Amino acid sequence: MSELAMTELPILVVGGGPAGVAAAVTLAEAGLRVLLIEQRDRLGGAIHRQPAPGAPQVWRGPARHRRNWTELTSRLERAAARIELRTSSVFLGIDGAGRFLFEDRRAGRVFARRVRAAIVAVGAVERIRPFEGWELPGVTSAGGAQVLLKETGRPPEGPIVVAGTGPLLLAVAAQLARAGNPPLAVLERGNPWRRPKTLAGLATAGPQLTEAAAYATTLAWKRVPYRTASEVLGVSEVGQGLAIRVRLGKIERLLQARHLLVHDGLEPNRAGIPLPAPGAEIPVLLAGDGREILGADAAILDGRRAAAAVLASLGQAAPVAPLEAALGKARAFQRDLAEALRSPSTLPTPETMICRCEGRRYADFTALPADASAREIRLMGRFGLGACQGRFCGPMLAELRGEALPSASPPRWPLRPVSLAALANFSMDQTET
Amino acid sequence: MNPCFYWIDRPVSFRPGETIAAALLRAGIADLGPEGGAVRGRVFCGIGACQACVVAVAGEGAVEACLTPARSGMRLAPPPSLGLRHE
Repeated sequence: MSELAMTELPILVVGGGPAGVAAAVTLAEAGLRVLLIEQRDRLGGAIHRQPAPGAPQVWRGPARHRRNWTELTSRLERAAARIELRTSSVFLGIDGAGRFLFEDRRAGRVFARRVRAAIVAVGAVERIRPFEGWELPGVTSAGGAQVLLKETGRPPEGPIVVAGTGPLLLAVAAQLARAGNPPLAVLERGNPWRRPKTLAGLATAGPQLTEAAAYATTLAWKRVPYRTASEVLGVSEVGQGLAIRVRLGKIERLLQARHLLVHDGLEPNRAGIPLPAPGAEIPVLLAGDGREILGADAAILDGRRAAAAVLASLGQAAPVAPLEAALGKARAFQRDLAEALRSPSTLPTPETMICRCEGRRYADFTALPADASAREIRLMGRFGLGACQGRFCGPMLAELRGEALPSASPPRWPLRPVSLAALANFSMDQTET
Repeated sequence: MNPCFYWIDRPVSFRPGETIAAALLRAGIADLGPEGGAVRGRVFCGIGACQACVVAVAGEGAVEACLTPARSGMRLAPPPSLGLRHE
């Protein structure tokens, strides 16, 4: 590597999932220095989460995902000289001098870096359609439960109900069944059989269909009922468990379970993220599900696309047309899937929690003036003002208002909890290079 | 024997490399308090986004239980400010 390459500022990549790693590898292979930040102790993101040391691997995931990841990690190893990898580190924000701030959680230390450009690939957060009691202990997001299952190799103990909408419900239920605790039921709110045309369109998607068929086979084999046009109406605590009021088609039932896993689709994880702005001194690009929900296969392409855009801005030719075409296909698939599972929206009851962080209910929202601005919703209603910065209540309110709640501007940094000691020990004039 | 940390006063054993969240859930601790708070903590999103599993580490700060590897001897408790009303 030339001396110039050693001293030039790196390109920052935040997030070590498929999009972030694909971006980092593409940049490093083109000869650029990369600073890759990952919040966990290992790369992979939620999709490639590995078992903790000594934990059994209950489910290895589809072969194509494993192949893609093996290829990315071996390219990462070959380009390691140009990639500085910081694991167990979280992105906190950008300071007044344009430096990017991070906390190294392992060392309990805040550090700052100057970068030439940033690619933010922090993935998705799950969308939750609120119902009474969704905030209770024992209710977990289906994706969160899946991550825990991958890490520990053990399903939660006791009866489980999986509910909401989307293909993840199938995947999680099948993985729980294989790990030894088949759910009592999977409740899908949508009614895809009502939209045979859209279903037929989806059937042309090869790998995703094979994957879904494998999950459906597992569920059938373990006798897990998969009910469409069915949903959770409310949940309450009973002793050590949960009483879950559900609607199965037109019939209401009460299910007793220990765990309720919920999921209503994915949203790009944007809270507090510096967004791309034309003419910005330090260009920021989004990549992967954090830019647009297109899934794990497309995230790799999108990481490459973001890297190509950075390279192009530095005068290095990087063709993106084939990537754009493949991303277009992924977009059409996601659109058909959403159409197949589309369900009528329902209003929450007044007692339904909307903002879990601040304990604000739907009644608190309807008590606000009908023409309340996004700022008033935040400051008077305290929605979106809590610790999660509106990652969950934001999409809920957007659906209820029929209009997105703009993110706080400027972003509220630090983005993540950081100890005052670590911040105090960080001296403002220390910038690592 | 597995190492352990403390949730309030209760010892919770963990396997090295496991997160605080995984160990708490295996011990059957789903309710992360605070007691009497309006909204109780719990492991929810598993990816450090929802902040519902933030726990206070004595002598350090607040961390997301779902992201943080468990360490022997840590003393954990619900973070005092969460779940309290601001009025």
